[in-house]
Amino acid sequence: MNQLLTWPPAMADRSATHLWLIRLAYVGIAFVVLFAHLLPLETTPRLFAGPDIVVALTFAWALRRPDYVPMVLVAAVMLLTDLLFQRPPGLWAALVLMATEWLKSRGGRMRDSTFAEEWLVVATALLVITVIYRLVLGVLIVSPGALLLSVIQFAMTVIAYPLVVAVSYLIFGVRHATPGDYDAMGRSL
Amino acid sequence: MAQDRTNSEDFTGPLKRLLLAVLLLCLLGLFLLWRIDSPRVERFRAQIVDAVVPNMDWAMAPVTGAVNILRDFQSYQNIYEQNQELRRELRKMTAWKEAALQLEQENARLRDLNNVQLDPRLTFITGVVLADSGSPFRQSVLINVGSRDGIVDGWATMDGIGLVGRISGVGANTSRVILLTDPTSRIPTVIQPSGQRALVVGDNTGKPFIEFLENPDLVRPSDRIVTSGDGEVFPPGLLVGQVERDAGGRLRAGLAADYERLEFLRVLRDHGARRVSQPGGLILPEELPGADEPAPDVAPGDG
Repeated sequence: MNQLLTWPPAMADRSATHLWLIRLAYVGIAFVVLFAHLLPLETTPRLFAGPDIVVALTFAWALRRPDYVPMVLVAAVMLLTDLLFQRPPGLWAALVLMATEWLKSRGGRMRDSTFAEEWLVVATALLVITVIYRLVLGVLIVSPGALLLSVIQFAMTVIAYPLVVAVSYLIFGVRHATPGDYDAMGRSL
Repeated sequence: MAQDRTNSEDFTGPLKRLLLAVLLLCLLGLFLLWRIDSPRVERFRAQIVDAVVPNMDWAMAPVTGAVNILRDFQSYQNIYEQNQELRRELRKMTAWKEAALQLEQENARLRDLNNVQLDPRLTFITGVVLADSGSPFRQSVLINVGSRDGIVDGWATMDGIGLVGRISGVGANTSRVILLTDPTSRIPTVIQPSGQRALVVGDNTGKPFIEFLENPDLVRPSDRIVTSGDGEVFPPGLLVGQVERDAGGRLRAGLAADYERLEFLRVLRDHGARRVSQPGGLILPEELPGADEPAPDVAPGDG
């Protein structure tokens, strides 16, 4: 518990407990976002779509600390949102998982790049999976929903990304691993 | 140390790739299964929703209440205009009330003459709205009655006045109502007084389209739309709303139900409702041409 209270978390505190607490925090944030979306406040059709906070959070953490968002956790959380939000189950989750793994593989190289570059990479990844999502649904004759709403949602998520990064840095201390950091197993990150 | 690290990476690298492949296969497999056998996966979805959402209810109800109080507080700011408007409306309403009372008396007399029995099967179960669809692409609400209360897929759902939607997805304690505004909603209706049949087609806006009209010239704005009972989708005669013409000249349905505040919904018991137990269950004929015997899933006793 101590590890969460001290800020920023000292390097020596990056123990297994801290790792699991921060993974728990990831699931917790996902549940809070789900909860906020499910509140029965908007029963009339909206002309506006909010940002997909969970995806932005997953991407931001995958680039910074891949070990905070393990594959199984991302798959489970995204599948749950698919099921609860009445999306075709599995497709969006699979695409987000692929994008997350791709970002994780780039994460080490992104360490020294500017934030603008990172933002561009995230926006590209999100654009690619959004387009694939709509194409696959179109090919399988499932109505993918209004195009305008998809575009708004994509734009809002891209706009919200820096905010998500800032919040995860300020509250959870999620930042790029520096060369001196070691994970719980003593391996260099 | 360095030796140790390379060893573990040799070990975890392929393992991670394998795990990723397995996860992707599972997710895409589920998606394909959903595409092929939608009712089964939707039942699975209903069970998951049933397990997750009622657990959030203890927090959802107070938060929703608090937000609504805040919204009401904002509307106090223009309370004077509201008051004036309500007074004007009230004057109109008293005139209508008089007309309605007279009609009610006349109706009662005529019923008495005809010795009409109201259908005793058309009773209802009332549920409270727990959650909405959570996504701007779909229009549905979750209510707190389910198969435990005898809810069955396909039943009509109304608020006090008009049709709201159709039950689709029943868990033990919750069921989902697909609203008329959802892009997948198609309701067979008849437009009074011309008697024209049409479909009310949801398109993710507040006012669904009216499509497949035989003769649009016979239909005027402010005509009443009621369900027709075609295809055994809904019992006939439920009020949907009235005809309106949008800026583009297309006919739309102004819904009678108050979609701004869906709080309590009535689910009409309808023992004749057709259930969807297999893909295409509503649109395919019960007996496919060339088939000797009807499919086992849609046996006569099923409905």
